[in-house]
Amino acid sequence: MADIPHPHGARPRPLSPHLQIYKWSVTMVTSITHRITGVGLYLGLVFIAWWLVAASMGPEAYAPFLAAAANPIGQFILFGFTWAGAYHLFNGIRHLAWDLGYGFLPKDAMWSGIAVVALSIVAAVGMFVWAYTVRMGAPI
Amino acid sequence: MRSQTPLQRVQGLGAAHSGTQHFWRERITSVALIPLTIWFGFAALALVGAREVDVLTFFQHPWNAGLMGLFIITLLVHSVIGMQSVIDDYVQQPALKVLSLLLNRGFAWLMGAICLVALLRIVS
Amino acid sequence: MVQFRVPKESRVQKGKVWPAPTTANGKKPKRTKDFRVYRYNPDVDANPRIDTYRVDLDSCGPMVLDALIKIKNEVDPTLTFRRSCREGVCGSCAMNIGGLNTLACTKAISDVSGSVSIYPLPHMKVVKDLVPNMNNFYAQYASIQPYLQTKTPMPEKEHLQSPQDRKKIDGLYECILCACCSTACPSYWWNPERYLGPAALLQAYRWLADSRDENTGERLDNLEDPFRLYRCHTIMNCTNTCPKGLNPAEAIGEIKQMMVKRGV
Repeated sequence: MADIPHPHGARPRPLSPHLQIYKWSVTMVTSITHRITGVGLYLGLVFIAWWLVAASMGPEAYAPFLAAAANPIGQFILFGFTWAGAYHLFNGIRHLAWDLGYGFLPKDAMWSGIAVVALSIVAAVGMFVWAYTVRMGAPI
Repeated sequence: MRSQTPLQRVQGLGAAHSGTQHFWRERITSVALIPLTIWFGFAALALVGAREVDVLTFFQHPWNAGLMGLFIITLLVHSVIGMQSVIDDYVQQPALKVLSLLLNRGFAWLMGAICLVALLRIVS
Repeated sequence: MVQFRVPKESRVQKGKVWPAPTTANGKKPKRTKDFRVYRYNPDVDANPRIDTYRVDLDSCGPMVLDALIKIKNEVDPTLTFRRSCREGVCGSCAMNIGGLNTLACTKAISDVSGSVSIYPLPHMKVVKDLVPNMNNFYAQYASIQPYLQTKTPMPEKEHLQSPQDRKKIDGLYECILCACCSTACPSYWWNPERYLGPAALLQAYRWLADSRDENTGERLDNLEDPFRLYRCHTIMNCTNTCPKGLNPAEAIGEIKQMMVKRGV
């Protein structure tokens, strides 16, 4: 059976609303966050490249990198990448558990998602607290 | 109006008989990245506020240089696969799709080359 | 790029407010609830709209479907929706209620706080009001060949299956094909023709898991595709929304494991 012809040639059948109306759930949020952090970390390789290149080119090249990393915007970006890395790591482990067949009950999937978000925040904040206290607030 | 039947449309050109390699490679790189990312996290913490000489000394240790190289390569392989998944989901127009796939590969090769050459310069 | 918004001619506009009719003894109803319902009439050249119906809860049955039938009977006979069994076994009245896909007949009105928003199943071509075009969905079901396939000659009586093997299709055969899961899945929204979607994949696994079926390899061949199977990213909307309590995400995970088992 082919498509049923539409009475108004010009006006196509409407598409029902989707993203606009669908109720967000923990698993939906953690899924799109996994994707966003993944793409972000991929692009963030630019900063690792900058770091290695700067280090390889001697102290004069390294100084601007250190300065950029130490200023508040640099620290904010670094914190963003630290959190994104922790999140993608923990949620990646959650995905591996799914691939092995574990954690598919709706309740489990919701709680594992909440745990991943909490753990990633703890890990990122913990790393920064350690860096600021033990390393006495030195840059990077 | 398309005169194809819904079944013709759904069957399209048939199954590609691929995708499992892609899926599997994404998983094995992700498993490898668990220890590598943790190592990188500790390495970054150890180098907080370090001077350029300290960074050089750190990477001149063969273990650290090797792990950093592995980390970058695994990360890039994993990222290319992941990014391709994103492109498959959202980009449908053929020319745009080919362009995004090229950009994806190009970016990864470029980043890989820059990072590894810099690492080699530090080591040598 | 995929369109994350609906096309211009599909955007929803404000509609009418229909007050609750007076009760049998001519009084104003005491307990009412607003039902905000998606309306689209193909005979009129206009965008879809949201009509608000004020329903007297004291003279209405407990389920959302009861309210829809009451509206159609007493207020607006043009309101169009599919329904049949009114007990959750036919799958006809699948729609989006309060932001989640479910069956109107098994969804209690009291489970929705505030007004009740009712839309057709998401990201589907709308035929009229709450009736989506299901052609593509059914074609995908047909494409997975949902029937027993064997190669050894027919047994004299029935195909035998041990109780343990029979158990393996529990949680799979109960699917009523209401399409709640597939139309809840963002991956299905973006690739509705190339990705099979959770419902068809759950059914594909139902035949892969059936000990009597002898076409497992061919079935896997037909699924091994970056789009047909691997657009699933375990977002879990399917499992969270299934009105029969089934787990399509887990079934898809099982298919992926079978793929790895035979290919790696």
